[in-house]
Amino acid sequence: MRKSLLAACAVVLLSAGWGETGQAAEDAIPVGVIANLTGTDVQSSLDMVHGAQAAADKINASGGIKGDKIKVIVEDSEYRPAAGIEAATKLFDVNKVSAVLVFGGSSVTLPIAEMAQPAGKIVLNTSASSAKLGDYPGTLYSTLPLDDIVGAQLGDYVAKEGVHTAVFIVPNNTFGTGLMDKAAAAFTAHGGKVLKEIAYSEGQPDYRADLQAVQRLKPDAIIGAGYGDDTRTVFRAARELGINAPWYVAYPSIFAVEDPKWMEGRLMGLDNGGLDSPLAKTLSLQATKQYGAAPRPNYYYAYDAMTLLGLAIEKEGTTAADIKKGLPEAVKGYQGATGSIDWDARGQRINPPMDYFVFRNGALQPAPAP
Amino acid sequence: MIDFAVFSITIIAVWSVLAISLHLQFGLTGLVNFGQVLPFAVGAYGTAFAAAHGLPAWAGAGIGVTLAPLLGLLVILPASRLAQDYWALVTLGAGEIFRLTMLNVPVIAGGDEGTSVYRFQNADLAMVLALTLLLVTLLFARRVGASPLGRMLRVLREDEVLAATLGRNPFRLQRMVTAASWVMAAAAGVLYAHVTGYISPSSFTVLETFVIWTAVVLGGPSTITGVLLGTVIVQLTSVSTRFVAQWSGLPSDLVANLRLGAYGLVLILVFLYRPQGLIPERKLRYDADRL
Repeated sequence: MRKSLLAACAVVLLSAGWGETGQAAEDAIPVGVIANLTGTDVQSSLDMVHGAQAAADKINASGGIKGDKIKVIVEDSEYRPAAGIEAATKLFDVNKVSAVLVFGGSSVTLPIAEMAQPAGKIVLNTSASSAKLGDYPGTLYSTLPLDDIVGAQLGDYVAKEGVHTAVFIVPNNTFGTGLMDKAAAAFTAHGGKVLKEIAYSEGQPDYRADLQAVQRLKPDAIIGAGYGDDTRTVFRAARELGINAPWYVAYPSIFAVEDPKWMEGRLMGLDNGGLDSPLAKTLSLQATKQYGAAPRPNYYYAYDAMTLLGLAIEKEGTTAADIKKGLPEAVKGYQGATGSIDWDARGQRINPPMDYFVFRNGALQPAPAP
Repeated sequence: MIDFAVFSITIIAVWSVLAISLHLQFGLTGLVNFGQVLPFAVGAYGTAFAAAHGLPAWAGAGIGVTLAPLLGLLVILPASRLAQDYWALVTLGAGEIFRLTMLNVPVIAGGDEGTSVYRFQNADLAMVLALTLLLVTLLFARRVGASPLGRMLRVLREDEVLAATLGRNPFRLQRMVTAASWVMAAAAGVLYAHVTGYISPSSFTVLETFVIWTAVVLGGPSTITGVLLGTVIVQLTSVSTRFVAQWSGLPSDLVANLRLGAYGLVLILVFLYRPQGLIPERKLRYDADRL
């Protein structure tokens, strides 16, 4: 029975792959996209897929790369490391892609990088921000800055706003704690005092127990990070506990405001900038028309990642070794949807443009830089 | 393509070991373990601990496989005087406590950032090891199931008081099964760590436990063939739907959501029409004179 089960399994897999291999040969340049189509933060993930597709469509509409068109193959990571690895294995082995664009937290992107490195494949990171992602030079390139950059800027920003004491509230994951560590270091370097660091477990129905310490400490401000639904629940708990300190956050665009009236003027933050370029505005209009809503920032990071990949392929060729050689050249002087992109020697974004926001009249409004 | 088939067979073999481990606990003994991911995680974290502290891989495997049954005995200790339904709560909580400990104590194996471990560079070797582990656990489980001990475990599953009146100590039997099945799951965890090359707390959520439960309930928890069939169906559903989007031309996100819907639908149908699973346990008949 055991043998027949395994044989059946192998037959199914092989027969499934037979058609795929043939298809990959027809599609001139297959490019993989791994996103959490199910699980957490699906809408941002879909925006990322749309951004990658928009860039591929643009390249294909202009005749492709030396006559060959890009074929985007999307796989679901379910926001689970195991499923992410399965998706990457399928893309590398069955679809023969040389490079994948990844949307997902560091917990998904890091294992994919871990397997891509010995396989000699390329990973373009469009959303994860753990500083540890910089440990894969020549394999992993990011179109958004990692936490060490954004965290330091957040700490500087809060200190320059005249805040003296603060409590940190972040999700207990690589993104949250990594960003908190860097922001706290920058904040204290300016003379600020961190009263408490709270790292909450994601997906809780109520965060009042976590926030009660803030009520007692009465900080000048709360510094934070988080994702959609969780942030809504955290805000609700803060409002119900009567915590009225202002919030300074990283990436306010991925926060979900629970009560716009209460939040008026209370939520401020910095986000990766450069999205006011003519290209970004054109893309925003195009995406709004196509999908019915303005896209989130990941749309633009994915757009830039796919465009840079296309440029690298055009310069050097389609193999992973060619792309590795071509990417540092492609990025030179590149003006993308997220502004100009500069990479350090590891392929990580430095000197990114930053935008500042404040929540007013029910939406995030541009605010002056400190 | 071959590499992907090899990878998929490896993963199916690893999850099959986990399913057989749960078969011993639930299908044979009636222990409702909702923390089946815990021994799996302990095995993987033994490996991760070794990697993070410069110890050799065999030491990591030893740590994981030794620690898991000890932890198992500790976890079930408070459940010794409770009805089996409460085992679910105790084991569920223990699994989460372990994950949160790994998340919040970075000195063990990197905390939320996780840690890289040695990854098998030879995929064929990984598959052979996984299949060997599966074969060993399968033979062991068959042997236990067919032995007098297996018959007593079935009695325990059906009626703990009856088992006690037959002169057996139910908790002793439960301890024995827990220790053996947690060793199996920990060995699967060690292998999984070396297949993926990276371990972090997010790999061991409650969701993973319910993937195993889905497979076991689907196939039939009381038979080894059933749990194997359930695991193969669940894993192949995940793998095969990756090809459906491209073949059908349907949007990838729609196919991904349909896959989740299919899991739920299959479970409901099984509960309604095959509550014993696809391969239910057959009544065993013994000739009393030959026993």
